[in-house]
Amino acid sequence: MYELRICHLYPNLLNLYGDIGNIKTLKKRSEWRGISAKVINLTIGESFVPENYDIVFLGGGQDYEQEIAQNDLLKQKSNEIKNAIKNDKVFLCICGGYQMLGKFYKTWDGKEIEFLGALDLWTIGSKKRMVGNIVFQCDFLQSEDCDGRIVGFENHSGRTYLGPEVKPLGKVLSGYGNNGEDGYEGAIYKNVYCSYSHGSLLPKNPALADHLITKALKQKYKDFTCLSQLDDKFEILAHDSMIKRVIGK
Amino acid sequence: MNIKYKLASVVSKTLCKVCRAVRFGGTSFPGKAASIIYPNALKEAAKNYKIIMVTGTNGKTTTTHIIGQILEENGIKYITNKSGANLTAGIASTFLNSIKLLGESPVRTALIEVDEAAFNKICDFVEPDILIVTNFFRDQLDRYGELYSTLNNVRLGVQKLKNTKLILNADDSMCASLGRGSDKKLVYFGIGPNAYKNAEKPAYSDAMYCIYCKNKYIYSNYIYGHLGGFRCTNCGYMRPPSSITCSNIDELNSSDSLIQISIESSEGNKIKKELYKTKIGLPGLYNIYNSLAALSCGVVLGLPVKNSLKCLGSLKSGFGRMEEIDAGNKKIWIILVKNPSGFNQAIDLLTKAEKQSQIALIINDKVADGTDISWLWDVNFGKLQRASEETGNIFVSGIRAEDMALRLKYDDFNTAKISIIKDYDKMICEGLDNSLEDSSFYILASYTAMLDIRKHLKDMFGLKEFWE
Repeated sequence: MYELRICHLYPNLLNLYGDIGNIKTLKKRSEWRGISAKVINLTIGESFVPENYDIVFLGGGQDYEQEIAQNDLLKQKSNEIKNAIKNDKVFLCICGGYQMLGKFYKTWDGKEIEFLGALDLWTIGSKKRMVGNIVFQCDFLQSEDCDGRIVGFENHSGRTYLGPEVKPLGKVLSGYGNNGEDGYEGAIYKNVYCSYSHGSLLPKNPALADHLITKALKQKYKDFTCLSQLDDKFEILAHDSMIKRVIGK
Repeated sequence: MNIKYKLASVVSKTLCKVCRAVRFGGTSFPGKAASIIYPNALKEAAKNYKIIMVTGTNGKTTTTHIIGQILEENGIKYITNKSGANLTAGIASTFLNSIKLLGESPVRTALIEVDEAAFNKICDFVEPDILIVTNFFRDQLDRYGELYSTLNNVRLGVQKLKNTKLILNADDSMCASLGRGSDKKLVYFGIGPNAYKNAEKPAYSDAMYCIYCKNKYIYSNYIYGHLGGFRCTNCGYMRPPSSITCSNIDELNSSDSLIQISIESSEGNKIKKELYKTKIGLPGLYNIYNSLAALSCGVVLGLPVKNSLKCLGSLKSGFGRMEEIDAGNKKIWIILVKNPSGFNQAIDLLTKAEKQSQIALIINDKVADGTDISWLWDVNFGKLQRASEETGNIFVSGIRAEDMALRLKYDDFNTAKISIIKDYDKMICEGLDNSLEDSSFYILASYTAMLDIRKHLKDMFGLKEFWE
């Protein structure tokens, strides 16, 4: 039997906007296929041991809590996380978690905060918040059953810019995305997937959830080929009804 | 009387009448119009009142309602913004509409619910005699930003006040911090460390780390969410002693609770402690907090405790937050759900209902609901799933019915039993048809969904207009 171990980083600090929905989705969609799934909560002061996890999740938090998490991330877990990324570990990072993997965050009044520097990207703060439903196109998810459109909700004031080593996760069809300027949303680097679409990104976008599970299982098991089909009636209803509202078709 | 002020209040009064005549429940528009004519209208209108103000994220409306009952019981006439018009314009309407153009108004007390995001601004115009802050929970982050900015906003408002007496929740580390180092008269209310034995350690918390030094709190006891006996071992910040305390919860039922309350007061340098037993006519732990807050207000006003307790015992759920509707030999309950903490508390309540009940969950994402509904993933539906295994179908409706259905699927609900019905009339009929005689149909709805479903129920069973 296959087993998936999901590491939830700082669940007690970075859990804004229903990020737990992403963990629930990875776990349930594995279990519904007979793949055992275990969630490992890892927080302040605990060491990050990459070989114990198959997928790592890092969410967003309020500034106050994010500062606490960020200190620990940089001081306690920095090298291990960078190595895990280098060695193709699957990561999903949302909003604040996405920003923290980058090089730095520059506040709107010019103060620069050093971040992990695991990914070639950076964030500039602005006074205006980018809030609302977002739809973006992920070509790598296109298949017979999926047109590759992802729907979510973004809420951030930071504008993120990608360096040449990092590819965007998708192309914005409606909403702001990374910075509201270049028309791209999120980032992909090796097996790290980042998005501003927070809380419950995965439940409504089962194709993306399955993509991550598949990547992780392929990393772990040489004989693993593909996931079995699930009944996604509710997922598709929720996905399609929002896309229809936002895009109109 | 200043001519612009007079004009402003005439306009406000007239618009209010027009709005009602055309059956448009606009309770804040008249105040907005008046403020344009005379920006200081609110300040001018409010200055003759003894003002009781209620703010916080959860429980404002219920607390305001209970205080109203207590005032009435003591024969005190008051004006209030009844229908939840709790932003600046709505509050201006309330004051302006109560002005008598000829002669003085006999009413001297104003009981005002204030939106926590509007509070700071209101403090530029109005200084309350008593301010009650209920709590701080995550709520509508898309509208207000982060919880700490909501708290800081309220803090800025409080700092503008000079002679206000503060009534604060001792069990909420964020709310209680408003009184720390303050030179204002403070009254804390809370649930004592040995009062509630069945508390579980919460799955998530809005405030785990010390607001002053970022060290993790330890808790001597939990109530729900981040409420409880918090203490920071690093800087020493801890739950302040409360003078209005629920010392024991004897019973928690689906419709009411029985509790013991201790009230401490100082006479000279002696501390007097009185113990009372009382029923609270509304269910749930959160209504114990709302009742304690209202009781504290009564104590600060110097009103007889027995009158206040009489009100607590005879409470009937008020508009929307929780409302009971007779539908023949069945009952419909409408419960407002707008954030994870409130939703969890409502689910807790459903699991205590004695009989098999039908359940509907209605979620909208209009501005007043919060356009981001991802908070649904922070609600623990597991309890509801276990309770609903026997009840058969669960109905989901509203603009985001599909998301609600999906959310339930991921907490192990049987998808064959989830019915998505967008037509409210059809959903109400099916829910009632499936209900057994003498049992209840519970409708949990987000704010605008609650208003909508109420319209339908009004046509079917005749309810009051919501501004009445």
